[in-house]
Amino acid sequence: MSISALWAAYGSEYLQALLTTWKLTFFSFGMAFVLGILITVARVSPIIPLRRFGDFYVQIFRNIPGAALLILLVYAFPKLKLLFPYATCVLIATTLIPSAFCSEYLMSGMNMIEKGQIEAARALGMSFLQMIRRIIIPQALRYSVLPMTNLLVATMLTTALGSTVPMVPRELTGLVSHINTHATGGVTAFVISAAFYCATAVLIGFVGSRIDRKVRILR
Amino acid sequence: MSAQTPVIEMRHVEKYYGDLHVLKDINLSVTKGEVVVIIGPSGSGKSTLCRTINRLETIGSGEILIDGEKIPEEGKKLAQLRSQIGMVFQSFNLFPHRTILDNVTLAPVDVLKRNKKEAQQEALELLKRVGVGDQANKVPAQLSGGQQQRAAIARALAMHPKAMLFDEPTSALDPEMIGEVLNVMTELAAEGMTMLVVTHEMNFARRVASRVIFMEDGAILEEGAPEEFFEHPKTQRAQAFLQSIREH
Repeated sequence: MSISALWAAYGSEYLQALLTTWKLTFFSFGMAFVLGILITVARVSPIIPLRRFGDFYVQIFRNIPGAALLILLVYAFPKLKLLFPYATCVLIATTLIPSAFCSEYLMSGMNMIEKGQIEAARALGMSFLQMIRRIIIPQALRYSVLPMTNLLVATMLTTALGSTVPMVPRELTGLVSHINTHATGGVTAFVISAAFYCATAVLIGFVGSRIDRKVRILR
Repeated sequence: MSAQTPVIEMRHVEKYYGDLHVLKDINLSVTKGEVVVIIGPSGSGKSTLCRTINRLETIGSGEILIDGEKIPEEGKKLAQLRSQIGMVFQSFNLFPHRTILDNVTLAPVDVLKRNKKEAQQEALELLKRVGVGDQANKVPAQLSGGQQQRAAIARALAMHPKAMLFDEPTSALDPEMIGEVLNVMTELAAEGMTMLVVTHEMNFARRVASRVIFMEDGAILEEGAPEEFFEHPKTQRAQAFLQSIREH
């Protein structure tokens, strides 16, 4: 099938799938971002068990393959009487893994902060949480806009995990599998999805570098 | 609290970095309104001494008292004590992501729970007083070193400290900016602020200090009125140190 014939037959489904990919990406990244900040605060907190937990969390979710995590969520968790809908399983997987990377990027952003500022904050009588809120996290975020942009793209690509379970509605990669089991779209069916992925990534990259320029800390 | 209670008192303070003995039996007191200047060669422990007072450096043994009270080891009480002692660093350490005004108001609002509007008003007055009122809405990187350091002094003053610690406040400055920072410090001293100053600025020490302390190798070797110390240093080491400075 040619691209135009495919588009004529499945155009609206492609748009639907694009929307699903966007939604998954948006929610996963949003939750990963919040979770990543919390984990990072735990990792630098004065409470040692909390630090250990944060490091452990990052080691686990940074290193587990997405497919393996999804298999656990779909097949193993029901045995613990935790039965989630497929879409929820995908969302959990595409949140936990990026949250670990988010924390790593924030940690490296923090390393850019001069030690003297922390001493100044201490000398002013600030508590740990006040320092985190006012001095450390705001700067770590500004230093990590570009890695976070990459993470957003990576999160989008990770949502293709949704194609490995019968999730409804389908996302871009899931739609390709669906089309290819019903018609002979072949590589062409994927080309359309790929174009959408690329266009989204370019848009993300553009917005990311704009934000980076805007919030960059003068030194 | 009696009038004699020193604002800052150190009793038999010892500190080691591994095998290195960096503070040796330090006994020191600073009473209200006094300006104590610590001088001595690099590596003599002056900065370390200064930083132990608000516990940015821990000590091995001995006691440090603020207004007669021992400094707490950690937690809320330590933070509260630190908020009462102003500190000015060699490298300014302003928060680069916030404006100068925010730098001055952050701690009064967050730590002292002061009203934001009032804190801003006072901050602007303080910034004016140290001569950087026009720079309030800029970020630190847009200011010269001298302006940054004066803003850092305003940031410390905004906490209404009982005493101010200056840890080599002019050592990172270009020569023409040193004067403007020293002028602000001189004014503060004249207004009766209790100050402990670690510096290499001998003229400042001579003019402003109520007392000069000479340190070497982690120990206080000599202590006295500035005229006395600069004209008739008692120890040979202090004589040699002053001599080496005068030669230039």
